[in-house]
Amino acid sequence: MSDQAIVRIRGLRKAFGDNEVLRGVDMDVVKGEVVVILGPSGSGKSTLLRCVNRLEEPTGGEVWFEDVQVNLPKTDINKVRERIGMVFQSFNLFPHLTAKGNVMLAQRKVLGRSKEEAARIAVEQLERVGLDDRIDYYPAQLSGGQQQRVAIARALAMDPHVMLFDEVTSALDPELVRGVLDVMKQLAGAGMTMMVVTHEMGFARDVADRVVFMDEGVIVEQGSPAEVFDHPQHERTQDFLGHIT
Amino acid sequence: MGTASPRALNSRWPAVAVVLLAMALFVVPAIAAAAPGDALVGVEITLNNTSGGSLTRFTFVAKSAAPIDSLDLAFPRGFDLSKITLDVVTLEGLTRVPVTAKHEVDGTALKMTFSPPIGSGATIRAQIRDVRLPATGGEHEVGVTYVSQGTAGSVASPEFTFETVKTSELLSRWLDEQPWVKSWNTVDALRLFAQPQKIAIAVPLLFVGWLTSITLVAIAFPFAIVGGLALAFARMSKIPPVRWFAGLYINVIRGTPLFLQIYIAFVGLPIAGVRAPLFITGVLVLALNSSAYLAEIFRAGIQSIHKGQFEAASSVGMTYWQAMQHVIVPQTVKRVLPTMTSEFILLFKDTALLSAVGVFELMLYSNSIATRSGNLTPFVVAAVYYLIITIPLINWVGRLEAKLAVAEGGQTPQNPNKRGGLFWRPASAGPIAEYEASAEVHESR
Ligand SMILES: Nc1ncnc2c1ncn2[C@@H]1O[C@H](COP(=O)(O)OP(=O)(O)OP(=O)(O)O)[C@@H](O)[C@H]1O
Ligand SMILES: [Mg+2]
Repeated sequence: MSDQAIVRIRGLRKAFGDNEVLRGVDMDVVKGEVVVILGPSGSGKSTLLRCVNRLEEPTGGEVWFEDVQVNLPKTDINKVRERIGMVFQSFNLFPHLTAKGNVMLAQRKVLGRSKEEAARIAVEQLERVGLDDRIDYYPAQLSGGQQQRVAIARALAMDPHVMLFDEVTSALDPELVRGVLDVMKQLAGAGMTMMVVTHEMGFARDVADRVVFMDEGVIVEQGSPAEVFDHPQHERTQDFLGHIT
Repeated sequence: MGTASPRALNSRWPAVAVVLLAMALFVVPAIAAAAPGDALVGVEITLNNTSGGSLTRFTFVAKSAAPIDSLDLAFPRGFDLSKITLDVVTLEGLTRVPVTAKHEVDGTALKMTFSPPIGSGATIRAQIRDVRLPATGGEHEVGVTYVSQGTAGSVASPEFTFETVKTSELLSRWLDEQPWVKSWNTVDALRLFAQPQKIAIAVPLLFVGWLTSITLVAIAFPFAIVGGLALAFARMSKIPPVRWFAGLYINVIRGTPLFLQIYIAFVGLPIAGVRAPLFITGVLVLALNSSAYLAEIFRAGIQSIHKGQFEAASSVGMTYWQAMQHVIVPQTVKRVLPTMTSEFILLFKDTALLSAVGVFELMLYSNSIATRSGNLTPFVVAAVYYLIITIPLINWVGRLEAKLAVAEGGQTPQNPNKRGGLFWRPASAGPIAEYEASAEVHESR
């Protein structure tokens, strides 16, 4: 069971008009695995994540989540998305709702949980991300780091089977990055399956089970952090890592 | 009315009065003889002007059955006799014989003394000019007493009616006589556009029209909001024909004058066999028209919400409509409120166009009074009525916009001066951009 892939990607292609952004990506993510995806800007990392929950419609190949093929028209995509949490670079909290309201909304409307249960879980999740003292704050009253942690709590409250993180610390002031990374680390430690796009090499090294390096819409190289960081096989990987460090 | 006494009837129907008068001339001697002690018979009173509060001429007619030395008329309270002039004649056949009469006024009592006394068998006609009637009309009577050969007598009090005058009419008449009004009105522009008397008359009359205008827009606008929302979503629909239809509707409505639409509806509906009251048709046209403008306002508002909001809602499994209902629309409301209010103001002013097809709203009221009186003051009064609604709303829109600029300015530190101008102040809390800057909702007309 533990080595069974939760997310299976086969020959995934995505083109925006003439611009082919993903050109045949294969990837399996097994339960409990933390996969960090690296790559230069424009290499298709975000697009790959967004194809997993079909925020982008693939133009070729297959994306499977558990036993459902995500990119089939007949698939009830909302059912799939209930179990795939996603955290965005720009937080995307609902500004008209408090932290608690943000975490409760989909629990109530999508999962049909009672108000009491949704509220209880919201408080639980906000505590988990260290925001028990900000429960009734509106997003505008929170720092970027706090907002991002609310966004994580909002995703977690849905009991996701996999979490997608797309450069979730890139919009944060440096001193706020740490708190968010700590939450993610703790999540990984608790066995959450995660696909993480990030430029935080330290995080990748510490937390990733596997590092995937992408360039120009394909996976160039992948392996354990030690393999990829210390002994990159491909020139493009070496270039990229050389640039970063 | 039918149960009123014959005399009361006389005062209302001159034709009847003439008949009775003729009867009195020939028959009364017999009646007088039959009722000794009544020196005065066939008493009646008529008014030439039955509008309360105004000057009127009382005509008192009676037949003497004995010589009359003096005659006392006791008017009810509220009658003003201070400026009267008196003219008494006797009628013998068709010839009028002047009578020398002295009169005294004591409050509402008028005493006439005749020298020499009026002889027996004469028809007395006393005309009392410039009696000022009280404002409140209804049935009134005058007490009639006389002195005949040194003996006092009285007759049943003749009755008459007149109409209650409106306070505005009274005020207008009162203003007529004020020196400052007279000098005010010597200036042509003031007399033509701001004549105090016309203001007094127009204010209460136009009030009714004003209420009609408000009611028109108060009913039409909620429908326009519902229609506008539906059209906005139809315009953003994934289904092409739905999108095209909404686009066509919105563009046709926005691309043609409301005036034209009003004519089409008011001429077209009856031809199509739809018989609706003018007011209902008016509401319908206003709602249909405004819904097109609101649709564009709503669409712009919805599309101004950063697409990350929709994606975040989608990523937790919300459907399109759930995301709209719980995430997008609530955020849109705040942004479109100023533009929506502007649209409301426009629609309120546009009710005036319905005057052209006979809907009795503010404009038609003012127009009809102005044309009737040949004075433009009613238009100025109408303008004030429109402004009573629009100015506070215009101010409110300004404040809303300023607040929105502050709120969104605070959330978009990378472009704080987008809304610019005097209103922008940095918000105290300065969190990172949550969603994109301002609702670029355009002016609608
Ligand atoms: N909605 C879109 N329409 C058209 N082109 C797009 C769209 N989204 C992404 N692209 C293009 O696809 C390419 C890959 O974008 P993507 O966001 O996946 O890159 P990335 O690896 O996440 O880059 P970054 O590190 O800058 O976030 C880019 O060239 C981008 O311009
Ligand atoms: Mg990206």
